[in-house]
Amino acid sequence: MSLFVQQVILGLMLGGVYVAVAIGFSLVWGVLNIVNLAHGALVVVGMYATWFLFTHAGIDPFLTLPLDAVVLFAIGYLVQRGLINRVIRAPLFFTLLLTFGINLVLINLFLLWFKADFRSVTTSYSGAGLNVGAVTIPYIRLAALVIAMLLAGAVGFFMNRTRTGFAIQAVGADKDAAQLVGIDLRHVYALTFAVGAACAGVAGGLLSTVQAISPTAGEPYTLQAFVVVILGGLGRVSATVVGGLLFGLIEVLAQSQVPGLGAGWSNAIAFAVLVLVLVLRPQGLLGRLA
Amino acid sequence: MAEVLLEVRGLTAGYGAGPVLHGVDLDFQAGELLALIGANGAGKSTLLGVLSGLVPPTSGSILFAGRNLTGARPERVVRAGIAHVPQGRRLFATMTVRQNLVLGAYLRRDREVQSDIDRVVGYFPALGDKLQRVAGTLSGGEQQMVAIGRGLMGRPRLLMIDEPSLGLAPKVVETVIEVCQSINRDGVSVLLVEQDVVVALEAADRGYVLENGRIALSGSARELQDDPAVRKAYLGV
Ligand SMILES: Nc1ncnc2c1ncn2[C@@H]1O[C@H](COP(=O)(O)OP(=O)(O)OP(=O)(O)O)[C@@H](O)[C@H]1O
Ligand SMILES: [Mg+2]
Repeated sequence: MSLFVQQVILGLMLGGVYVAVAIGFSLVWGVLNIVNLAHGALVVVGMYATWFLFTHAGIDPFLTLPLDAVVLFAIGYLVQRGLINRVIRAPLFFTLLLTFGINLVLINLFLLWFKADFRSVTTSYSGAGLNVGAVTIPYIRLAALVIAMLLAGAVGFFMNRTRTGFAIQAVGADKDAAQLVGIDLRHVYALTFAVGAACAGVAGGLLSTVQAISPTAGEPYTLQAFVVVILGGLGRVSATVVGGLLFGLIEVLAQSQVPGLGAGWSNAIAFAVLVLVLVLRPQGLLGRLA
Repeated sequence: MAEVLLEVRGLTAGYGAGPVLHGVDLDFQAGELLALIGANGAGKSTLLGVLSGLVPPTSGSILFAGRNLTGARPERVVRAGIAHVPQGRRLFATMTVRQNLVLGAYLRRDREVQSDIDRVVGYFPALGDKLQRVAGTLSGGEQQMVAIGRGLMGRPRLLMIDEPSLGLAPKVVETVIEVCQSINRDGVSVLLVEQDVVVALEAADRGYVLENGRIALSGSARELQDDPAVRKAYLGV
């Protein structure tokens, strides 16, 4: 029994990471109609940023998160304004191609600057955990879950309580109508992408504390963000939270409870979830039908 | 002589596959209620799109209140005082009526948004108890009211309304058109695009007839009502 509880807790904590990774991806997809294949690479920028600040300036990895967000916000704004805005009205295929290219460029820059070496962020509290009876809760993973929820809350507040958030929603709903009330499309596109990138940066900062950092470390996260959005549904933060937590649970429980499914099966599980949802409930659990 | 509000000269525009507008001229005096009529596909919505900055012109000029707005981006046009209520309402369907109205005031930084919402409800009392409703769940007529209200929230000098009567019951059309007239009496110039020519010429001071992207006729509403060509083509008599 306690093993099962342990797995559920681990699943939720993994899900927290997925929530953090998927929030920005979902926002960009929902508003800009861009499936951002470079999202995982943006997560890796956050990882390296935290690693750099931790290793060279001695800053606690959790304290680097706001800096990651600021750096990625700026990068995201410039990438959208300078690059993606130019093809935004082209068919989905073109933006896919462009973000695929951006992904390759980023990975090559990482290789150039950081080589293919694995790097890690190891703090004094890295191995520590909270023991409740027979159940252990690693501090770092718990903090990651809490911060992911705070991030989701912050994005939800921004989208549903602020003037800019409403402008972003308006653009997502109807570009022409949004322009007719005076919303500057190019600016709001860039802002949306910037917020999405900032979320990726925070996710990367969190991930740097629990896994090895390498130029291609972000690749699985693009797929996982995709699955989370399909699972939860597009168009609201709460859907991403539900999708992310559930996906984390499914992955951990499938790996621990189903005989024969080990750690190597994570992509296969993601794919199975993807296919099942697309067949049974294509709009996702909480999604609105388009 | 009244102040010239809008002066359009030789406007040409299209969507890539050849021009839709072929050199449109239009003069608008401040305070007028102008009707723009024409058949399906004549280019009425395209003309409004060019005026509001959604469709780039290929040649010609747009002068509004002395300012050159040729090819200006939509946010500049809104700031200059032109509101465009698009064909088909185009509300933010999943947001509430209030949020739609508040977004209409997006460029304004003053604190009078609430009193302007009250003003919109003054024009459309039917919206009074529906501010918290999700816009997409309203009836067609109510949605049209919200669309016009959203346009008013930007405090325009010129309100352009594209086919407000589309798909509405005659009774509702009457209400909407009456409100357009009272908005006009309150000092806002109104450009009313209509396929329902009877309704439009009944309400307007003057009218333009657009045919295949060209202004075919213009004159006072009375003149157009009596014009044999207009009567034959649009009034079916
Ligand atoms: N977004 C667009 N892309 C390509 N062509 C368009 C677009 N919008 C309109 N057109 C074409 O431009 C021409 C004029 O259309 P427009 O919508 O301006 O006419 P309209 O007078 O408003 O007609 P209606 O009374 O049906 O609204 C039509 O031939 C139409 O097919
Ligand atoms: Mg039209």
